[in-house]
Amino acid sequence: MAETSYWTGSKKYLCNKELAQAFHMSRTLGMPLLVEGEPGTGKTELPLQYAADLGLELFVYPVGSKSNVEQFVARFDHVKYLRDSQIEILNAQREEKGMSTKLTTGGRDTEKLQDYVIKGPAAKAFSTPNAVLLIDEIDKAPREFPNDLLYALSHRKFVMPESGEVIEVSEENMPAIIITSNREQELPTAFKGRCIYHYIHFPEEATMREIIQKHHPKVEVKVLDVALDMFYHLRNIGLERAPTTREILNWLKYIKQFASDESIEKIKKLEGLGVLVKTQTDLEKVQRSILSNPRDFKKRSTPN
Amino acid sequence: MLESLPAKFREYGLDADVRTLLIFRKAMQKGLVKTLGDVYNVLKGIVVKDPQMLGPFIRAYYQYFLNIDIQNGDRLDDAIARSDTFQKWKEDLFEKSDKFRKLDLEDLIEKFLDDVHLTSYDIKEIISGKDIFDNDNPDLEDNQGNSSIETPRNLLDRMADYSDLSLEELLERLEKIKAQQKDKHSGGSHWIGTGGVSPYGHGGAAKNGIRVGGSGGGKMARKVLGDRNFYPVDIDSLLNDNNIDAALASLKGIIEDTAHDKLDVPQTIKKGIKRGGLFIPELEKITDEKLQVMLLIDNGGYSMSPYIRNVQKLFRKMKTRFAHDMKVFYFHNIMYDELYTDAQRMKPISIQKFLKNDPNYKVFIIGDAAMSPYELNKWSMDSLMGIQKKFKNVAWLNPEPYRYWSSTYTINVIRKIIDMYQLTPRGIEKAVQSMNVK
Repeated sequence: MAETSYWTGSKKYLCNKELAQAFHMSRTLGMPLLVEGEPGTGKTELPLQYAADLGLELFVYPVGSKSNVEQFVARFDHVKYLRDSQIEILNAQREEKGMSTKLTTGGRDTEKLQDYVIKGPAAKAFSTPNAVLLIDEIDKAPREFPNDLLYALSHRKFVMPESGEVIEVSEENMPAIIITSNREQELPTAFKGRCIYHYIHFPEEATMREIIQKHHPKVEVKVLDVALDMFYHLRNIGLERAPTTREILNWLKYIKQFASDESIEKIKKLEGLGVLVKTQTDLEKVQRSILSNPRDFKKRSTPN
Repeated sequence: MLESLPAKFREYGLDADVRTLLIFRKAMQKGLVKTLGDVYNVLKGIVVKDPQMLGPFIRAYYQYFLNIDIQNGDRLDDAIARSDTFQKWKEDLFEKSDKFRKLDLEDLIEKFLDDVHLTSYDIKEIISGKDIFDNDNPDLEDNQGNSSIETPRNLLDRMADYSDLSLEELLERLEKIKAQQKDKHSGGSHWIGTGGVSPYGHGGAAKNGIRVGGSGGGKMARKVLGDRNFYPVDIDSLLNDNNIDAALASLKGIIEDTAHDKLDVPQTIKKGIKRGGLFIPELEKITDEKLQVMLLIDNGGYSMSPYIRNVQKLFRKMKTRFAHDMKVFYFHNIMYDELYTDAQRMKPISIQKFLKNDPNYKVFIIGDAAMSPYELNKWSMDSLMGIQKKFKNVAWLNPEPYRYWSSTYTINVIRKIIDMYQLTPRGIEKAVQSMNVK
C-alpha cells in the first residue's frame, strides 16, 4: 500500500496547509503533484523533507535543457556491451592459443542484456515500494520532454531498452511523484491535466516567522522583527528579483553570529546585502531608496 | 451527477471536462471529499493549472455550489452579504443560538467563510487537538479519571460519522446542496458544514467551545478576488506588461530544423557486433531549434510611442530566454530606402544592405501603418515588396484596434502586401502560427 497518510511537515520544514492537502490528495489519487511558485519558496524541499521525515527512499531527477526520457527511465550501456563482447572474443582466442590468463567482464554476461541496462530514477522509484520521486525544474526541459514523461508516468509501466524487462507498478504502489517548475516555460495542457496542481503563494509575515524559527530557533524576537520588516520592505519596492525565503534564511545565518544589538544595527545598514539582492540594478535601487534615506525607513519600521 | 459542472466551469474559461468529473469521483471514492471545503480543495487541484485561473475558479465555485454571484471587481464579502445563501445560513445560525445575533456582519461573513471552507483535514485536526488537550490537562485526569479518554470519542460521536456513506449517496447529497441554493423557498437548510455533504456536524465542534477555523481557503479566496495576478490576462487586449508572458508563450513556436549528422555510437556498436567485430560508423541526424528574428519598429509617430517600450521588452525577454539571433531596426512611419540601426535614427542602413540578411529570418514589423497617403511612394512600396519577396516569414503587427483598419487607406494598401496582425497576444500567436505553417 502506498504511503497516503496526511503529512504536515517536519521539525525543519513548515508545510503550508494547502500544500500539505494537495500533496495528500495527489498521493491518494496516485497522480503526480505539480508544484509551482516563486523561486526559493521550498518547492524542492517538500519531497526531500517528506522522504527524510518518514524514512522513505528518494529518487531525484534534475531536469536540464538536454533531458530526455531515456535518462529518466533507463538506458542501455552500449559501450560496456561492446567492451565485454570484444573481451569474450579475445578470451576465446587466448584459450585457443593455450593461454590461461583471462580478462574479466566484471560479472556481466553478454548473454544477459539486463546486465547492461542502467536504470534511471524513474525505473528505480517504480521498483521500490513507497518511494518518493522528485522531478526538479521541469520547465528547463526541451518541449517534448513533458509529453514523453506523461506517457511513461500514466502507463505506470516501463519497458527496459534491449533487455525487454518490464517494470510495472500497481496504482496502490505508485511512488509519490513531485514535479517542480519555475514557470520559465508553459507546460503542455495535456501534461498539466494529468497532475494535481499547486501554486505556492509567497508566505505572509506570520508564516515566514514560523519558517525562520524552524531554521534559526535562536534568533531573538527583536532582531527578527527588524529583519522581517526590512525583508518585506525590500520585496515591496519593486525589485527586478525580489528576495525570497531562501535569501532571508541565508541572511539571518550571517546576522545571527552577532550580539542582538549589533545585528539590528547591521540589518539597518543592510550589511550582507549581497545575499538578499542579486542584480546590479536592484542594488542601486536599494541604495537609493533605503540607505540614502534611512529616516524614511525608520518611520515605517516602528510599529503603529 | 454534477454533469453540468464542466460546462459551467468552462463558461469561466476553466479547463473542465469529463475527465475532471472522473478524477473528482475517484477522489470521492478514496474518501477525500467529505465537506464543502473538500469539494473546493479537490476541484482546485484538478481544475486550476495556473495561478491566473484561481480567480475564475473561485468565482465558478461560488456560483455553482453556493449560488453566490461574484461580479467583476466585486469584493467577496459584498457578494456574500447580498446573497440569499448567506441570508438563509444566517437565519439558521440565529435559530441555533441567540449568541450569534451579537456578531456583526464582518464576523458573520468570517464565520460563513470558515464554514464553507471547512475541510475534513480541519475536522481531524480539531479532534486530535481536543485529544491532546484532554490528555495534557492534569486536573481532568485527577478528578474525572476515565472520562478524559471518553471525551474525544464522544465528540467524534456527536460529529456523526458518515464515512460509511456510499459514493452514490454522497453525490446525491452534493447535488441536493446545489438544488437548495436555487430554490429560495426551501427553508431551514442546514447544509454548509453540517447537513450537507459534511459527515461531521460543524456545530458540534463549535458548541464545545473550540473555534473552528477553515483551512484558510476563505482568506485566500478573499485575497485572490482583489488581485489581478489571479485572473487570466485578456489575450485580445493590447500588449502590456501583464500579458507579455502570454504573448511570449506563443512566440516560442518559431522553430526551424537544421539538420546535421552525428556519429550514432549505440547503432555503430550494435551493427558492428552483428558483423562479427567489423565496425562501420553509423550516422544519425540531429535537429536543432533555430530561431532568427528581426524586428522593424516604427518609433517615429506619436501614436506609436506608448507601445515601443513593451514591444522591445517582449523581444528582449525572448532574447535572454532563448539566446538566439535577433536584430532590431527602426523606421519612421514607413521605410523608404533606408532603415536605422539605432532608436535615435542616426545610423542608417540601406534597404539593399538590409535585404542581404539570411532569408530565414522571421521578420516582425511593428507600426500603426497610419501615414499620409503620399508617403506610400515608389521607394516605400519597393522596400515593402522587397522585404516580402526576400524573407519567407514576414508579419506586420499593428497596435491600432482592428475596427479602425478598414477606414485607414495606408493600412489597407500595406495589408495587401504584408500579412497584418493585431499587436495583441492573440495576434502575435496567429502571426507565429502562420509562420510555422510556411
